[in-house]
Amino acid sequence: MAKWKHNLKNWLTRRLELPADAVMDLPRITMVGQLHIYIENHQGVLMFSNEEVRLLLKQGQLLIRGKDFMLKTILPEEILLEGKIEHVSYLDRPES
Amino acid sequence: MKEYIRELFSGYVRIKVVGSYTELFINRCIEYHIPIWDIMRIDNQTILLSLYINDVKRIRSHLKRTRCKIRIHERRGFPFLMRRIVHSRGFLAGVIGCLLLIFILSNMVWSISVNGATPEVEHKLKQAAIELGLKKGKFIFQLPSNQELQQSLTESLTEITWVGVKRNGTTYHFEVVQKQLPEKQKALSPRHIVADKKAIVTKMYVEEGQAQVEENAYVKPGQLLISGFIGKENKSQLVPARGEVYGKTWYVSNVSIPLESKFKTNTGEAKTTYAIGLFRFHIPVWGIGAPDFKEYETLEREINFRFLKWELPFSVQTNKMLQTAEVIRTYTKSEALKVARTVAREDIANKTSDEAEIKKEKILHQEVENGKVNVKIHFEVIEQIGKDIPIIQGD
Repeated sequence: MAKWKHNLKNWLTRRLELPADAVMDLPRITMVGQLHIYIENHQGVLMFSNEEVRLLLKQGQLLIRGKDFMLKTILPEEILLEGKIEHVSYLDRPES
Repeated sequence: MKEYIRELFSGYVRIKVVGSYTELFINRCIEYHIPIWDIMRIDNQTILLSLYINDVKRIRSHLKRTRCKIRIHERRGFPFLMRRIVHSRGFLAGVIGCLLLIFILSNMVWSISVNGATPEVEHKLKQAAIELGLKKGKFIFQLPSNQELQQSLTESLTEITWVGVKRNGTTYHFEVVQKQLPEKQKALSPRHIVADKKAIVTKMYVEEGQAQVEENAYVKPGQLLISGFIGKENKSQLVPARGEVYGKTWYVSNVSIPLESKFKTNTGEAKTTYAIGLFRFHIPVWGIGAPDFKEYETLEREINFRFLKWELPFSVQTNKMLQTAEVIRTYTKSEALKVARTVAREDIANKTSDEAEIKKEKILHQEVENGKVNVKIHFEVIEQIGKDIPIIQGD
């Protein structure tokens, strides 16, 4: 059922040229060089330290590594992170 | 950026949140729409974040749930600034009071110095100055301007030819040029007294010398009245002639008085506007708008303030608008004649010395022409006619 719904959404986005993040609850990540990273559509902060930030997403997690992190703004669905960003990666939710 | 203004005005705190589940605390704040920002990690247990002061109460339950504790790190923004100012208001009042005092004292007259006058004249000058309101402890902006002071002081003191008024900060300097009153010559050199103008001699006193004319004699200018030679012809001696000779002299004065004359007078109606001058701008404060009357003349006055030696960039300007009205004065013929007489008398008084006395006056001729009354008046005056001339000896 869930799989089928996901496929439909996928098909719809491609067909109707809808923005993927809106339809599929995907994060939209904007980076300005290494200085800022702006993440929309997150589900919460899992971990926050000076070198590492882990954000919960609908599917899996987003891991950001770097230095001197500071959460400039944090709103229900948006985060603006400042610091020296070195590494951004997705961690898939372990299949269960 | 717009948030920044709000932050400053509503006031915010930087707090330290200590606990094992600080991320959870952040998430709960977001969930319950409590704005937080500028979050920094200090150590494993502690994060630092900013929060509006109004929201501090709202986070209490979340703190309990997430087993965190807070400590206030810094208070920022306008409300805290205000509180600090109110807290130290004694000191602040002192500072403001001190500045105010300096400001008041800077606008006062502190000393008056007079230069170039004898002590007697200096005293008189100071008295005259006090009458004009200039004395120690007066506010400078209440005083008339330097030119006005200079003019009225010069006019009020007869001993003075000229007074220069200069203001230097809180000190007034008067530079005085005193009249050199000629000393009465005591040791007179030999001289004659001759007639100054044609006249009929009415009275003569001879103190020294020899009278050369008699009363009721007609004399011409330059004619010898009292001779400096005394004694017999072969034993004559030279003396300075002294005496007074009064004679009857004649003047004719032509006066023309227009029957109708236009002139402007103040009706007494006035309107004053006030403006504050800031740098080069004028901000009207009171009495904005044109006066109710059309014709007026304006008296402008600007009051400047000083702080220590500096001229402050603000001033108070008053603009007094005096209503004027054109008045047409009409004389009847007889009134015009009366006026002509007084004008002519003044004219004669200016021409003759102070002790001269008008004996007779007679209108010789009068006519009305082009709306004017032309009058020719003849005056008979008794005045001193004597004039000294030195006798040049030699040859």
